[in-house]
Amino acid sequence: MSIQKILLKFEPKAENLLAVLKEIQKENGCIEKKECEAVAQYLSLPLARAFSAASFFDQLKTKKESKKIIKICSGGPCLGEKSMEVARQIEMLLKIELENDAHPKYKLELMSCVGLCDRGPIMMIDDQIFENVKPETVDDIISNYL
Amino acid sequence: MKLITRHWEKINPLDINSYIRQRGYESLQKVIRDMDPADVAVEIKNSGLRGRGGAGFPTGEKWEMAAKKKSREKYFICNLDESEPGTYKDRVIAEKNPHQIIEGILIGAYAIGAKKTFIYINGNYKKQADILKIAIDQAREKEFLGKGILGSAVDIEMEIFEGAGAYICGEETALLNSIEGQRGEPRLKPPFPPSEGLFGKPTIVNNAETLANVPYIIRHSAKEFSQIGSSTSPGTKLFLLEGAVKNKGIFEAPLGITAQELIYNSLYGNGLEAGKEFWFAQVGGASGRLMPGGRLDQLLIYGESEYPIGSGSILVVDKNANLKDFLLSWAGFFHRESCGKCVPCREGTFRLWEIAKRLKNKDFREKDRENIEDILWTLSNTTFCPLGKFAATAWTDAMKMFGKEIFS
Repeated sequence: MSIQKILLKFEPKAENLLAVLKEIQKENGCIEKKECEAVAQYLSLPLARAFSAASFFDQLKTKKESKKIIKICSGGPCLGEKSMEVARQIEMLLKIELENDAHPKYKLELMSCVGLCDRGPIMMIDDQIFENVKPETVDDIISNYL
Repeated sequence: MKLITRHWEKINPLDINSYIRQRGYESLQKVIRDMDPADVAVEIKNSGLRGRGGAGFPTGEKWEMAAKKKSREKYFICNLDESEPGTYKDRVIAEKNPHQIIEGILIGAYAIGAKKTFIYINGNYKKQADILKIAIDQAREKEFLGKGILGSAVDIEMEIFEGAGAYICGEETALLNSIEGQRGEPRLKPPFPPSEGLFGKPTIVNNAETLANVPYIIRHSAKEFSQIGSSTSPGTKLFLLEGAVKNKGIFEAPLGITAQELIYNSLYGNGLEAGKEFWFAQVGGASGRLMPGGRLDQLLIYGESEYPIGSGSILVVDKNANLKDFLLSWAGFFHRESCGKCVPCREGTFRLWEIAKRLKNKDFREKDRENIEDILWTLSNTTFCPLGKFAATAWTDAMKMFGKEIFS
């Protein structure tokens, strides 16, 4: 969908900034300078204001992500369910290192809580959430979803 | 004693009639037909209800502040942003009984005279946002919200605002900034939101669990509510038991209960999993204090308390756990979630995270030990908002309790 089409779905007022940015992120995969300019113009806001919001939130990206991002929750309850063992298993499977940017295709990161502590350990591949991930089952997820 | 979870099994979250059958929306009818807005705030004040998001501020007092402000526009916001590690109580309320929250918001909005209300929901709670949207539509059809509620002259609109993944937006002023279309950074207080909040207008921000208590108080009276739980912080609380306990999950218990009882009573945690030995418990999520075995008898209450309940999560850690994983988990979380507005927090959480990584890789330097003390002091005393203080809480306790093990 073109940016203009997305913008027209919203009333042009400042309160819609975050909702607009989220929709662009969903359709476009990222919010770069070009999109920020269109949003700022549509909502009659300074470009800096649009960019400052786009660069603030976890779910918005200001650059296109070329790598698959795998995330493991490091919150206390997930730790208690051995999320670090899951991380080690992924490191071995993909020959990557946690929080290291070197691999051309994959990146393994720790993430903040997404409120599913009763179903941990939680793992994410891009925007998809996996629950109750065990070191034994992570191989399947990696081979099917990566 | 169950107030919040009491009808959960009988309620279909997608059908408003199942809530109405459990006397749902009776409290809303009562306030709209028989009560002055000022009386509603007084009733909530007399009940002694305190905010369940963590700070424990008396809800009725907050409402009175906003109610007394003269302004044509006022806002009432339900804070459903919870992103504290170990906390998912508000998510469960929203998916089990969304109307309980909606009714609480409507009563609050009526009490302060707000025409516009928001539910600020965590960006990861997509399913719960959908459930709430359906619930709002059904409530509108029944004339519980919208223009001329139940045939009266009261108009209250409700909108869902979805966040985009930022822990700091649970802080009320950061939440307001984020709704206004700004970076979710906290504002300087005062002015407090009840006098100058969203778009500079009087605004109440209440946690979802707090609001879920409101219909009960109105229906049964402040007096009845104030006799439940502890005298200084009445009512019940949703506790989340996690980690090495046998029964994990969400449990409703009266305030004034002890962690001992929650962990070992068969009604709740039912002790530790086989073969595990208690080491410490973390009360209140990643920003909570560490409670040693000898202090499990402390009463869990809001107000003056050595171990603040926070959001109500209790993480039990057993002796086989790796403390360095926890140190890295806490430091990493606050480093990622620091909004970057003030230097002590932005730099402090970053350096603490670096040290945590070195500790984990057993490559710490002698200077780190000194620096930790320095950073923790700075975070506890000089940051702009409470996030910095939270970042230091568990670390400070860990240094006191397990200093030797950390540097071994």
